[in-house]
Amino acid sequence: MKAPASLIAIALVFAALYARALEGPQPARFAPPRGPLHAAAPPRFESQLLPNSSAPSVHSATAVEAAGGLRAFWYGGSREGAADVAVYTSVYSHRERTWEPERALVRRESVQRALQRHVRKLGNPVAGRDAAGRVWLFFVSVSVGGWAGSAINAMVSSDEGATWSPPRRLIASPFLNISTLVKGPPVQLADGTLALPVYHEMLGKFGELLRLDAEGRVIGKVRLSWGRSSLQPVIVPRSETEAVAFMRYAGEPPARILMTRTDDAGAHWSEPVKTTLPNPNAAVGSVLLAGGPLVLVFNNAEENRETLSLALSKDFGKSWRVARVLESETQLPRAPVPEYSYPWIMQDRAGNVHVLYTWGRSRIKHAVFDQAWLEGGG
Amino acid sequence: MPLTTILGLLGCGLLCLALAVAVLRLRRRPVRVRYAVTLSAAVLVFAPLGDLSTAGYVRGLTGDLSVATLALAADACFGAFLGKPLFERRDVDALLGAAAAAGLFLYPFALGWTPFDPYALGYNSIVFITVLLLLSVTAWRARWTLVVLVVLLGALAFLGGVYESRNLWDYLIDPLVVLYALFALPARLVRRYFSRDASARA
Repeated sequence: MKAPASLIAIALVFAALYARALEGPQPARFAPPRGPLHAAAPPRFESQLLPNSSAPSVHSATAVEAAGGLRAFWYGGSREGAADVAVYTSVYSHRERTWEPERALVRRESVQRALQRHVRKLGNPVAGRDAAGRVWLFFVSVSVGGWAGSAINAMVSSDEGATWSPPRRLIASPFLNISTLVKGPPVQLADGTLALPVYHEMLGKFGELLRLDAEGRVIGKVRLSWGRSSLQPVIVPRSETEAVAFMRYAGEPPARILMTRTDDAGAHWSEPVKTTLPNPNAAVGSVLLAGGPLVLVFNNAEENRETLSLALSKDFGKSWRVARVLESETQLPRAPVPEYSYPWIMQDRAGNVHVLYTWGRSRIKHAVFDQAWLEGGG
Repeated sequence: MPLTTILGLLGCGLLCLALAVAVLRLRRRPVRVRYAVTLSAAVLVFAPLGDLSTAGYVRGLTGDLSVATLALAADACFGAFLGKPLFERRDVDALLGAAAAAGLFLYPFALGWTPFDPYALGYNSIVFITVLLLLSVTAWRARWTLVVLVVLLGALAFLGGVYESRNLWDYLIDPLVVLYALFALPARLVRRYFSRDASARA
């Protein structure tokens, strides 16, 4: 390159880079949590298995509140990691209190065609809604190797899940964009966009929070933890600036749920600490209920996933009380394979709390209850 | 098909071609053989095999390729086509050195060993852009033309959003070029040292 033409080229290109950086997205606060629109009814608890007419193995349910109910997603197939695994969806009616028959929404072949990349298997979906009301579905796919080779894809629906955009690949890792997975639902930001908790699994295990733009592209990220023992973060905002994140623990005993906090809208997170609640290297779910109590749904054991419990905290995670048991050795009916795992939890606008979880790896189970039932236990 | 997909596939196709010409040692073949094999390989790389082309299968493994990798792949392809390399050896050595250094800085930290995440700097960090500017001016003063070219083309591609990524790092380097640099650069420097030594003795 000849001067000064090359110097001018450097100056122009870097001026454009600086301009892009200066006009780039400003830090966004969390969207303030909303309270229920209606008062909750007297104590109520119901549970049922979701329909499953075809997949011997199902796992990792998620959902969004829909008009008059919920729209849930999960993955299922002949076994975890099989090429025939698809992401299924079904709709729950609050009025009918039933789930409609499931249908396959995303298959490996269609993802491969849309992404123009080889896709070997599909995995965890998570769903969320942005400020514009669009439903986002993020899901994991793997091209080579095991789950540590995962990447995240996104689809969006503007008509409550009737039609969907083609999948788009999220670019979130410098390692050929592999080893980024999702489990926790996205969090709304005050500027209308979403932040997506993700985790890395190759060599290290740690959580991150991705910032997405309106088209679902990754435009920033911050680390929630580091090292080799934390994954599957779930973020719970309490205000525009405060939030807590809980993570699955994969390290040395004692096995406890990990927790980290932010008080600057997610720009910085505290060093993760162990809570008092056990964790058998399994996913947890959490939500802030109307009126302030924080609830965690988790496997209340260090070694297995044979129990599933609900814990309440009235001081935003500092102390906990196990309020209810959803699954245990004494709860009937027991699943053929006693594993109750990968819980998802939310509170709907009417104040009802919904929990979805894997029931014996063969079904997804839905429990719905109100705050009075939850707080009345323990 | 989105432009980002087309450009990603073209990049992976170029890498396939570069591997083909390297494996077949095309540079040593007659001109007609070079042309015929290169064009045939280009058709094969992009021809659909079921849902995907070979480039699509490779893209599943590698993702979209950085400008540094594409520059080296182009160098190999054009070298086979023209019979001589596209870039000077000194330029390629400088690019490999820069890629190795950048990779040694980026990847260990990106594995999550500390709270510091250099990959996050690729999202419009003023500090990162300033460091890159200083490195570019240094490379320009040292006449490392290919390094400057890769930085400028990578930055332009980032500004134009030609890939799905919005992270500047992804346009500059990737693990392929860093791994190649870590293995090839020492070998190239040793070979050059001994060839210079031999010519001095002669």
